[in-house]
Amino acid sequence: MGRVIILNGSPRAPRSNSKRYAEIFSENPKTEYHNIARTNHLTLCDRLADFSDLLIVFPLYADGIPVTLLNFLKTLEQNPPPEKPVVSVLINCGFLEYRQNDVAVDMIKLFCKQNGYRFGSVLKIGSGEAILDSPFKFLVARKIRKLRASILSANYRELHVTMPLPTRTFVRASTSYWTEYGKKNGVTKEQMSTMDIEKEIEK
Amino acid sequence: MKLILSDRPLDIKITGDHIRYIDLSLLKIANCIGCFGCWTKTPGRCVIRDDAVKVYPLIAASDAVIYVSRIKYGGYDTVMKTMLERAIPVQQAFIQILNGETHHVQRNVLPKKATIIAYGDMSGGQRKLFERLVSRNAHNMNFESYRVIFADEGQLDRKVAEEVAKWEE
Repeated sequence: MGRVIILNGSPRAPRSNSKRYAEIFSENPKTEYHNIARTNHLTLCDRLADFSDLLIVFPLYADGIPVTLLNFLKTLEQNPPPEKPVVSVLINCGFLEYRQNDVAVDMIKLFCKQNGYRFGSVLKIGSGEAILDSPFKFLVARKIRKLRASILSANYRELHVTMPLPTRTFVRASTSYWTEYGKKNGVTKEQMSTMDIEKEIEK
Repeated sequence: MKLILSDRPLDIKITGDHIRYIDLSLLKIANCIGCFGCWTKTPGRCVIRDDAVKVYPLIAASDAVIYVSRIKYGGYDTVMKTMLERAIPVQQAFIQILNGETHHVQRNVLPKKATIIAYGDMSGGQRKLFERLVSRNAHNMNFESYRVIFADEGQLDRKVAEEVAKWEE
């Protein structure tokens, strides 16, 4: 039996920050990684039988778990593996407060409780949209290694990390981050700040 | 304007143009793909041009909403959650401080009185978790006030009618 299978529940899994977090975790060779896609639910359910631990990596979406992951869990509920792995979570949100992830984590815990899975470790990441491209990347990498160690040793624990910035400084930094993001698409900060909804922006 | 958004058909009578009723189960709404296009390419507009683009402007323009959803793992089940995820064009990418926390800036989104009616299996702590979820939604979806009602599926038509009647008072 293998050790850890990582499933990425991000809607943009191949290009996601969740994938980058998973890659840091996967420096250890005992892992297998898959994106959750609309068409591979049953295949992934079958793969779980070969692993003692499942790590679900996903972003906070509208205050909860993304539909991509929700739909997979519903399939898993109907197609459980014969031996159920311990379920751990690595979740990130773009907000500074890692605690904004709490409800989504508790949704996974509830899934585990309802379906007879043991819940393992959790790493809650705040400022997760940008932290990997900031000077604070080492903080999140360190926590991911601790998460990995906790899972591999079955010494499960709860971890968290965010940028060590005052809130106003974080807001300024995130504004710069998103302004640069828009600039790459030829969209100005003023255009991104439009208050209009469903209106074409003239360029 | 007031809006009823349901993940299943409801047998209700709506009087007046100021109330809109949308049965999401009749619409074609794809999953959000997390492209950030609605924030950084075509701000305020989703790049997926399906039925969701008719719904989120109505959410933004409503000062009162009733959301009817099946509950799953303490959250909205697939139909409602898919729509709520596709509603992020009503927000900007930019972050502000709201109630001591960081949240996205809202575009022209009216503050709203929200009534969330949840139905389905309520076992194993689902209710408490769902109430916590809606309290988080209040920050990110501009609810100035909210109530959560748990109902049997067979009671939904009556529950919604009661809530609509309160709008008319």
